[in-house]
Amino acid sequence: MGGLNTALYIGAQALEVAQGALGATSNNIANANTPGYTREVPQLSENAETLNGGQVSGGGVTLDGLQSVRDELLNLQIQQQTSAQSSVDAQSSSLQQIQTYFASTGNDIASAFSSFSTSLAQLSANPSDASVQQEVISSGRNLAQAFNTTANGLTSTQSAADTEVSQSVAQINTLTQQIAQLNGEVQQLTAAGQDGGTVEDQRDQLVQQLSQLTGISVSQSSSGEVITTGNGSPLVVGTQSFALQSTTGPNGLQQVLDSQGNNITASIQGGQLGGAIQIRDQVIPGYLTQLNTLATQFATAFNTAQTQGFDSNGNPGQNFFTVPAGAGAAAGLSVAITNPALIAASSDGSAGSNGNVANLSAALTNALPSGQTPAQAYASLVFQVGNDTSNASTESTAFGQNLLELTNQQSSVSGVNVDEETTNLIRFQTAYEAAARIVSTIQQLNTVTLDMGSSQSY
Amino acid sequence: MRVNTNLVPDILADLAQSQSTLNTALQEVSTGKSVNVPSDNPEASAAMVQNTIETANVDQYTKNVTSELSTVQAADSALSTVVSSLTQAVSLGTEGANGTNSASNLQAIAQQVQGILTSVVSQANASYQGSYLFGGTATNTTPFTANAASPTGYQYNGNTDQNSVAVGDNLSVQVNLPGSQIFSSPTADVIGSLSSLVTALQGGNSTAIQTATTAVNSALNYVGQQRVFYANSESQLNSQESYLQQETVDLSSQQTSLVGVDMAQAATTLSQAETANSAALAAASKVLPDTLLNYLAPPQ
Repeated sequence: MGGLNTALYIGAQALEVAQGALGATSNNIANANTPGYTREVPQLSENAETLNGGQVSGGGVTLDGLQSVRDELLNLQIQQQTSAQSSVDAQSSSLQQIQTYFASTGNDIASAFSSFSTSLAQLSANPSDASVQQEVISSGRNLAQAFNTTANGLTSTQSAADTEVSQSVAQINTLTQQIAQLNGEVQQLTAAGQDGGTVEDQRDQLVQQLSQLTGISVSQSSSGEVITTGNGSPLVVGTQSFALQSTTGPNGLQQVLDSQGNNITASIQGGQLGGAIQIRDQVIPGYLTQLNTLATQFATAFNTAQTQGFDSNGNPGQNFFTVPAGAGAAAGLSVAITNPALIAASSDGSAGSNGNVANLSAALTNALPSGQTPAQAYASLVFQVGNDTSNASTESTAFGQNLLELTNQQSSVSGVNVDEETTNLIRFQTAYEAAARIVSTIQQLNTVTLDMGSSQSY
Repeated sequence: MRVNTNLVPDILADLAQSQSTLNTALQEVSTGKSVNVPSDNPEASAAMVQNTIETANVDQYTKNVTSELSTVQAADSALSTVVSSLTQAVSLGTEGANGTNSASNLQAIAQQVQGILTSVVSQANASYQGSYLFGGTATNTTPFTANAASPTGYQYNGNTDQNSVAVGDNLSVQVNLPGSQIFSSPTADVIGSLSSLVTALQGGNSTAIQTATTAVNSALNYVGQQRVFYANSESQLNSQESYLQQETVDLSSQQTSLVGVDMAQAATTLSQAETANSAALAAASKVLPDTLLNYLAPPQ
């Protein structure tokens, strides 16, 4: 049968376990607001029974260790949603900047088209009035400047996205190095039969940050966690990290290369990096192409109309706009003539004729080779920008809701509930007090036992 | 099932949501526009591009109509003066042809008709705001100048072109007739017939005077016909003016329905958003500090 010493031993163990549990509880409370912290639950188990003199007696309690409560599946989902959301957020914030150039501010292309068209209508009534001719030149210049401003706005947003690409690549490389290092630490802990605990928390937090930067795929292998980009280029394999590189491509924009030197720019999706690449290589070039086509076709149509007529001096009209060929059309559009008398309003060479003004106005109202009038072409661009921006922000809200939902689920599994911890605190406090009572009781009993043989009596 | 007690992300999301609704409502009320950037309503923004251009154009077309109306009226009033001058010439010619006039009387009548000729030529050279009305598109050149070599004594310096002024999209109204058509048409030459009448009166031959008077009379009828052109232009311009006024109203009501704000509704939305926002804040302030610790007695 168990003696008093056994009971004392059990009491001492219980004290230790209660201390350990209080430690876990206090650590949980302390980290209640630490990002990425996963609550730890003390793992208690009863000791093996001892058979002593034919009698079975309990062996007390042991604290096996602390177990972090985490749901790996939820973590994966959160990483994916995070990638998706930060990609859309990156696009949304770029589009918000872009759409201000297309808003009806009075300096936009629509307003400039409007005043240019007005000045031509005025020219129709006063074809030889120098101040009206001057007005045509000024409003033509405003129109060219509106094209310049919009094109430059698009280009500067594009370079901002380009800067974001190289910055994201640098951040990704820092994170993958840290993750590889933590992978090693987790491996050592697991090998020693311990729970990864806080190290895993740290790693999860870093992987989460990584998923904000780019879409990743995470799997477990014998060598530890394996992280690759969406298209399979390795970023981290166990304790080894593979750095991405960014290098200036033939178009002057940063290209992303994997560790083998393959250009993976086009296949990167998700995260800030994916969003920046999408904006830089797909969205903005799409807008710029439309803007350049509009600038080229409109300027060409107007120049053609201008050369059909005669200026105030009776000479054949010369080009009104100078439009650079191809990609720089909208950014480089300018008015070629400065002399108001050079506007070819006349159809017969006499200064008072307005016969060619109708041709000049027709350049604004007739369909361009693209099949749309300048106003329609610009309106459809405005629609596209507005629609893309509105979609991006709707998607961002939707992904945000999903993410919030998932984070709540994760929080309900892994998060610290202060009420629960307070209850545990009281529970373990009581356990500690009870265990301490066992020890003091056994001590008293031992004293009684020792006193049985002494001469002193009560 | 374990319940998530970390309400902070939810509360922050709710607050952000109600704050953003409040901002939108505030912006709508303060700007009076429901569309401030294209993403607010892509379709309306695209439609506004056309509306902006159209509105400014209609404005200018209206100005064109007003200024062309004055031009056309100036031309018409010049022609009306010509008509009365010609009427007077016809009666002078008839008087000269009745055979009872003395030579000196005929000379006096011839002088009067000569005066009428000068007045008609000055009407033919009428200008409005610095532009000659009857010179075709050569508005800076005096249309009729004296030329002794010409049988009529005058030559035409203008051209035979006409200007059409834009008063609508793809709509323009012809606003002038060339002077050569009105005053020196081969079929009914106003200046030529007056000049012939002067010559006939100076010659004193009744038959010649009679013939010349008939020619002036047909020129008179001819000018009357030409005035119809200006009357037509005037009526076209007038009807276009009322169309443009209607168009202005239509465009502005389209603009209101595209990007405008129904103030009563916007104000209601704003007040709802304010209430929702304060409710969200109040809920957050009640929920956040609530833990078990509030109810436990402090340790002794």
